[in-house]
Amino acid sequence: MRRSRAASLAAIGAVATLVLAACGGGGGEDGDASEGGIYQDCKANPNTCNAVPAAQMQQGGTLTFAIEKNVPNWNVNSSEGNVFETGMTVKTFLPWTFTTTPDLKQVLNENVLVSADQTSTSPQTIVYKIRPEAVWNDGTPITADDFVFQWKTMNGKDCPECAAAQNAGYNQVESITGSDGGKTVTVVFGTPYADWKNLFASGTPLYPAHLAAQQGDLNTPAGLKAAWDWFGATVPTYSGGPYQVSDWQDNVALTLVPNQKWYGAAKPTLQQLILRVITEASQEPIALQNDEVQVIYPQPQVDLVQQVQNIPGVSQYQGLGLTWEHLDLNLRNEYLADEPLRDAIFAATNVQSIIDSTVGQFNEEVTPLKSHMFVPGIEGYEDYLPPEQGSGDVELARQILTEAGYTNIAEGQQLTRPDGRAVPPLRIRYTVGNAIRQTTVELIQSQVRPLGLNLEIVPTDDLGGTTDSGDYDLIVFAWVQTPASFSNAEQTWNSTSSSNYGEYNNPEVDRLMHEAATSTDLGPARDKLNEAGRILAEDSYVLPLYQKPTIIAAQDEVANARNNSSLDGPTYNIEEWGLRAAG
Amino acid sequence: MLAFAVRRIAVSLPILLISTFIVFMLASLSGNPLSGLLTRNPPPPPETIALEAQRLRLDHPVLERYWMWLTGLFRGDFGPSVQSNLDIGAEVAGRFLITMRLIAVAMILALVLAVVIGVISAVKQYSKTDYAATFLGFLFLAMPAFWLAILLKQAGIDFNNAVDEQIIYTIGDSSVPLPQGFGAQVADIAGHMVLPTISLALISYAAWSRYQRSAMLEVMNTDYVRLARAKGLSRRRVMIKHALRNALIPLTTVTALDLASIISGAVLTETVFQWRGMGDLLLNAIRTDDVYVVMAWLLITATVVIVFNLLADLLYAVLDPRIRYA
Repeated sequence: MRRSRAASLAAIGAVATLVLAACGGGGGEDGDASEGGIYQDCKANPNTCNAVPAAQMQQGGTLTFAIEKNVPNWNVNSSEGNVFETGMTVKTFLPWTFTTTPDLKQVLNENVLVSADQTSTSPQTIVYKIRPEAVWNDGTPITADDFVFQWKTMNGKDCPECAAAQNAGYNQVESITGSDGGKTVTVVFGTPYADWKNLFASGTPLYPAHLAAQQGDLNTPAGLKAAWDWFGATVPTYSGGPYQVSDWQDNVALTLVPNQKWYGAAKPTLQQLILRVITEASQEPIALQNDEVQVIYPQPQVDLVQQVQNIPGVSQYQGLGLTWEHLDLNLRNEYLADEPLRDAIFAATNVQSIIDSTVGQFNEEVTPLKSHMFVPGIEGYEDYLPPEQGSGDVELARQILTEAGYTNIAEGQQLTRPDGRAVPPLRIRYTVGNAIRQTTVELIQSQVRPLGLNLEIVPTDDLGGTTDSGDYDLIVFAWVQTPASFSNAEQTWNSTSSSNYGEYNNPEVDRLMHEAATSTDLGPARDKLNEAGRILAEDSYVLPLYQKPTIIAAQDEVANARNNSSLDGPTYNIEEWGLRAAG
Repeated sequence: MLAFAVRRIAVSLPILLISTFIVFMLASLSGNPLSGLLTRNPPPPPETIALEAQRLRLDHPVLERYWMWLTGLFRGDFGPSVQSNLDIGAEVAGRFLITMRLIAVAMILALVLAVVIGVISAVKQYSKTDYAATFLGFLFLAMPAFWLAILLKQAGIDFNNAVDEQIIYTIGDSSVPLPQGFGAQVADIAGHMVLPTISLALISYAAWSRYQRSAMLEVMNTDYVRLARAKGLSRRRVMIKHALRNALIPLTTVTALDLASIISGAVLTETVFQWRGMGDLLLNAIRTDDVYVVMAWLLITATVVIVFNLLADLLYAVLDPRIRYA
């Protein structure tokens, strides 16, 4: 009898624990996450918030940062290795020329370079001066050879089978020569390239050419390819950055220790830096709460943000990034080829209500984006979108259609073109499993319904294949900007570009974008890009929705780690990361 | 017995072959292994995409791809992964051991719990213990596995906070770096195993304890148990020696049949607890349309399920000698 009662009590106790645990969420309401904590001044000072002087930092210790994907290929310049998480990872041990700071400005990496200047505009010539003390961890100087290796492997000509992530810019370089013992690098362009700061920059860092030369003759395509593949497949022991790899457990964690030959001004204070692979974002706050990781950088979602806010001793900050969502129309569709219908769809779409129902749930600062060419924060951003686009003005949309000769413009009817043909249901697509995009397309569907326009929601599990084949009528997805957006714009909107999925074609826009991308004077180049954007907007091809927020969350003992919404991510200043001294 | 085993294997092989064909076709025709490349921003040059398509054999018709895969198996070639550096065979072998460790410990835990609680429930039918066990059993049966795992994690963190020490972990199968010293390493690995094994075990335990309870009740009411009691044997001896032995037979079958669902439970458990086993491999492969990794997963897990069913049949015969002669 006694045993039976004990078992019952145990059962009740177990259930009660589970239920209480479920209700409590673990954190309590005294969490200091959202407003205060170590990120309280990030809004005002995005580049310097959570800055702690070296004297106030603990010497030694281990810090673990969660990354959401494995590193399947160590060559971040290759198409396979060109993944955001790999980019953040290799920034711990590779050198580069320019960095994007949290305020989205491109700045010189002064650890590596003394200067990088455009010394001539015809032919466009850039001279990089590498710091004399900049060396790889085996003592070999970082020189022009490293620049040449990257140029040859990425220009698409010297190594056609290298499968580089991108050729842009590298394919316009005419020559690269080293002087001053290789510490001065002179790059001469065949055709001018406005985005020259993107070359050899944080997105495409330098790899050691002297190790590449051990894999094959770098004057032959085969030798270059062998070196290229070797960098992809080999766990790096080389380093030209503040840390070097001490251990790699595939799919689990990268362990780094300070590079003893690091030449930068800020020396790492940590004894060990660990990048832990956590592929399930929803598990990251729990690991943070249990002190298994100290910094996380997941995609923000309502639940996740709330979860983080409830953890005591953890701070979080959300920034607005370079990734932006948009609604695209496919001009190959004969109905959408008619501009008044496109104008009406964009007028009826209410971007603010889409934001309010999605990302606005956890970030009040997200506002409708008003440009295709730049995002706010980047030099050149102009709010040029016609005010009616994205306004949700159904009456105006009806008026546009009426004036164009459309009939049956009402909910429950089938919108009919001036030539008498009814507009059939159009397919709107989004990536399956993306709850935010699902809500977005559902809202768009309901917002255009009063026009007599029916949208059929068809998710896709192959976004790349869907866009590439143009298998959609309307689609919602995202593009990523870079602070230097000139070639990016051409890549996205040019009538002959493979990324121009909806087959937009306007020779005037092509001309303006090309002039901007080949300009050596950035001021007028930005003006041209905005002019192109205005025409693009008037043609109602793509409706920008909003900049996607990013979130960093860290334990309050973490120093110098801060949000960076660019493709650099928070590891842009990894050498400064550390732990605050106790007390 | 040998003939029986051989016959079972002979039947299993065509099933395995047909299932590989169906899965290969489904995976190949529904997904696009180039999807990851095509969504890169900035996009890779078209030449790069063409090279990748060639490497992944996408320039061959799907039937030919299947044949290449099938014949490649005999040379130990599992086909090309979307990740060019990945050796699928080696990857699967490493991950198989991790998953088996999780499944084995969880199954043992679940079986012990199911037998003990099932027998106690049966022996003390309609007692408070029985009601409590019944309630718990149905609770775990009804609870979504994902939610249960999150609750366990939260309980683990509360436990750590209560004892003010890091004992229970929520991600991975060990810490990085592993602590120094044998004792500390064992404690670390155990601390990582606690939650995933409990999480996986509770789901199976719930159903199995119900089977065990009813099997035990049935056996307890048979003539031979009554006879044994009448002969004056002790209750304890009768229960363990006579009743339990027979009552274990249904559970043996159920356990083997449930293996497939345990493996699918392990996929979820591995995801929630970030174990890099077969489940994680499968999900990642599906996410990236990595057809050949999906195929390797199918081959290995289907083989395990078939082998376990065979073992269950053999064990069944050992537990109940009458079956051998049937």
